[in-house]
Amino acid sequence: MNKYLSIIFLVLLSVVFITIQTTLLSPHNLNYYYPDLNLILIVFLAIFSEVRGGFFLTLGNGYMMDVLSGNLPGTFTISRLSAYLLVRSGSNHVYLRKALVQGLVIFLATIFTWIFILTIIKIKKGDIGDITAKYILIQGIVNALFGIPIFWMIHRINARFQK
Amino acid sequence: MRFLKNRAVLITILLFFVSLQLYSLNLREKSGQNFISQVVLTVTYYPQKIIYIVSDKVMTTWQDYMDLVNVRQENIRLHEDIQKLRVEKFELAEDGIQNQRLKKLLDFKEIPSYPIVSANVIGGSPSLLRSEVIIVDRGSHDGISQGMPVASSEGIVGRVLTVGDRSSEVLLITDPISAVDAFIHRTRVRGIVKGTGSGCVMEYIEQNSDVSKGDKVISSGKEGFFPKGVIIGTVSDIETKGNFLSAQVSPFVDLDSLEEVVIILKTNNNIVLNE
Repeated sequence: MNKYLSIIFLVLLSVVFITIQTTLLSPHNLNYYYPDLNLILIVFLAIFSEVRGGFFLTLGNGYMMDVLSGNLPGTFTISRLSAYLLVRSGSNHVYLRKALVQGLVIFLATIFTWIFILTIIKIKKGDIGDITAKYILIQGIVNALFGIPIFWMIHRINARFQK
Repeated sequence: MRFLKNRAVLITILLFFVSLQLYSLNLREKSGQNFISQVVLTVTYYPQKIIYIVSDKVMTTWQDYMDLVNVRQENIRLHEDIQKLRVEKFELAEDGIQNQRLKKLLDFKEIPSYPIVSANVIGGSPSLLRSEVIIVDRGSHDGISQGMPVASSEGIVGRVLTVGDRSSEVLLITDPISAVDAFIHRTRVRGIVKGTGSGCVMEYIEQNSDVSKGDKVISSGKEGFFPKGVIIGTVSDIETKGNFLSAQVSPFVDLDSLEEVVIILKTNNNIVLNE
């Protein structure tokens, strides 16, 4: 029963995060300085391997990003799934329980997903708009700063469902 | 799951190539609506609408307070504006009569008018990769369908990209995949207005054409997508590109602070994209 409550909580959280990211904290309002809550949640699902249904939640979150950002065909779904799998492969490492390391992982996951997406667009000679290395670094830092307290919060709430 | 975990790097490389193939299936080949996309739009509509209503109330209350602060000076300024507008109204009435007379002389055909639906902007893209997308609170329930043109009182905004039950995504004219057939209002010189991400550029203008800074650019209606004569923006710079001229166009509408738009209920299968 608690397992299902935990999954329901994370599904609702996914919808809340993507809603905030398209309204109050959207790039339209904050430009480069918006936190990518969707990616932060995916990294959380990857680090805390005891969370059930992480793979499918990541798929759903990535797909929501694809739809709400103008339906880029699978770009976010696949890049975020890759980031999830890479982080997940080292999720049993004891250092991943430390807040600073978690911040670093969020930072690296941000850099990874952008490199993944921009490489594809560059190969296909698509338009990457105004996205520069500076922007990616800024977003990595913003995500790490927002991510640490968000991790703490989600972990505490989710732990209640796990009991 | 353990299989995936042990081969994460290999699977990531595989996923990269899958993504590369998927990217090739560009938007031009997308036909009709994806059911899951509609579900996502519908699921996110209600929380987006709640946030929109709450933030709108807060902003309105704050704006009301700020308005009260300078109400006296505003009153004086408005009285002056009324005087000016009375003069303009008289002049416009004169022009209108003259316009009707000239139309009769030329046997002028009226530009067809289309029904419109007003909509509030309740959200935007969650990523900077395609930030030139907004979400409005009208969907298939209100008669909206994919490809319909979107405008504001100041000019063209974009077109409907994805339709949910109660909300829709609108691709702004500044998005790199947007393209509108247009002409220069003063000289009727034609070209294609494309998005650049931060603005627009009018391309394929014949080299010896009469185009200068400050010229207004309006939709031609030739591609059957936007109605004819809707203002797009103003020419801000001109350069030569190969055998053609290319003009930077500053959109008339401030796309960064859009709050309300109108969707023109005009359907057309000929969707023009710049890809």
